[in-house]
Amino acid sequence: MLESFLTFLGQYLPDSLMASLHYLTSGKHLAWYASLRYTLGAALLGAALAVLFGLAGAAMKSARFAPLRAIGHIYTTMVRGVPDVLFFLFFPLAFEQAVEYFFAQRLCSADELAAAGSWPPCQAAQWYLGTTEYFILACVSLGLVYGAFAANVIHGAMQSVPAGQIEAARAYGFSDRQVFWRFRVRQMWVYALPGLSNVWMLLLKATSLLSLLQIADIVQWAERLGAPNYLARVGPVHPDWRWKYYMALFVFYILLTMLSEWFFRKLQARAGRGILSQS
Amino acid sequence: MLENPILNDIATLAKPALFNIYFALASIPVGFPLAVLLAVGKCQRSRWLRWPSSAFVYAFRGSPLFIQFFMVYSVMLSFNLSHWKPMGIDWLVMHPLFIGPVVLVANTSAYAAEIFYGALRAVPKGQIEAAQALGMSRWRVFRSVSWPQALRLAWPAYTNELVFLFHATTLVYFTLPVINEQKDLMNKAGELFERDYNAVLHYSVAALYFLVISIVIFRFAAWYHTRLNRHLAPAERPPAPSFKPRYLR
Repeated sequence: MLESFLTFLGQYLPDSLMASLHYLTSGKHLAWYASLRYTLGAALLGAALAVLFGLAGAAMKSARFAPLRAIGHIYTTMVRGVPDVLFFLFFPLAFEQAVEYFFAQRLCSADELAAAGSWPPCQAAQWYLGTTEYFILACVSLGLVYGAFAANVIHGAMQSVPAGQIEAARAYGFSDRQVFWRFRVRQMWVYALPGLSNVWMLLLKATSLLSLLQIADIVQWAERLGAPNYLARVGPVHPDWRWKYYMALFVFYILLTMLSEWFFRKLQARAGRGILSQS
Repeated sequence: MLENPILNDIATLAKPALFNIYFALASIPVGFPLAVLLAVGKCQRSRWLRWPSSAFVYAFRGSPLFIQFFMVYSVMLSFNLSHWKPMGIDWLVMHPLFIGPVVLVANTSAYAAEIFYGALRAVPKGQIEAAQALGMSRWRVFRSVSWPQALRLAWPAYTNELVFLFHATTLVYFTLPVINEQKDLMNKAGELFERDYNAVLHYSVAALYFLVISIVIFRFAAWYHTRLNRHLAPAERPPAPSFKPRYLR
């Protein structure tokens, strides 16, 4: 279908333009465009998880049970001291090793376990991660890291819910748990939105790191496509064009940011109806 | 070598930590004045000053640092044979210890410019008008009225940016070539991991380095914050930057 469309266009457009159109629709380029699914998928899935972890973190921070509160505090404070990249790389590694450790205990012989030279102790415990597994792990670690940011935002937003509403809910006889989930969490979204939109922007930019986890995402494809290209049949196709591809990605992310800003502006205006005076 | 694996790792990662510290320290002295210039540029009425600085800030805040590193490095590389080598400066401008800070400066100055821009706009208008009415020149108004106030307002947010900048130095050697033993914390931790597959130990020690240095940055920022606000009674000072997350929204 693409071929016939290009032939159709070829009747009207000059040859030079058609050449670049053909270049940009080659199989590898189509694979590049398709790899967008990882970036956008990780952003959306990671954001959903981040909101979940954020809610859990905020709930833990205001828990009455002290150890739970401590966990909530440590979780939300860690990201202030440790780079997101470190978590992003460490979590999948640690998870993989934990799973391998679990299987090693069951599958490997005692001698192999005692030898402890390489990892995993025996071949049977090796867990080969494919792109899908890495993708899911990447989403979870994005969710964990940015969930900590979201927890801070949500916790702050919950403090911004007018005290009168909470008091009214208590006066009506709602239990503490009901007050928390049905009033605090219900009402805080409007106050959390600006902060959450910032977290989304951070998360969106962090999706460029997927290639660090061996996922063939848009960054990795840009590297492959831009590298000096030589075909035995045609000779050199193009010199080092990586700068063009990276510039395209640079612009692409700026456009994504613009789109997100527009979306959050609309969302904020809609969510703030009747609550915020200037929205 | 030390017996305790943790102490051993702390010793091994000390030199790599210097690379992260170098990248941050090399970027801040250039990034800070550039950020102030950009923020002032964004405040100008003239379109020819406002538009470029706004575009720069938007572009470098709106795209990932990871891509910025790749982009700048590949652009520099494409000029290498035609320009840098004939000029004899390729050993300098293609070196990660040079390109790293260049990109970090661009990135941090964009983020900091947005912070300073917000702070400059938050300075009460009456004060500016009063200063103008006293006959102060535009430079004098900026130097004695708007800037000191803006810096005080922006300081806590700028502290966060400094810490983020320090954390962002992890990306340098993921994107630029690693030359010989010039490795930063993440590289070295990764290398140690490949030797004995002990992810928890090596990455935790690397994290510890980041944690400690971040706390040092927050401490310094809190000290400077008190200094900036020393004209106020302690009870009236705005909350100082601290490691504990503030509930921003």
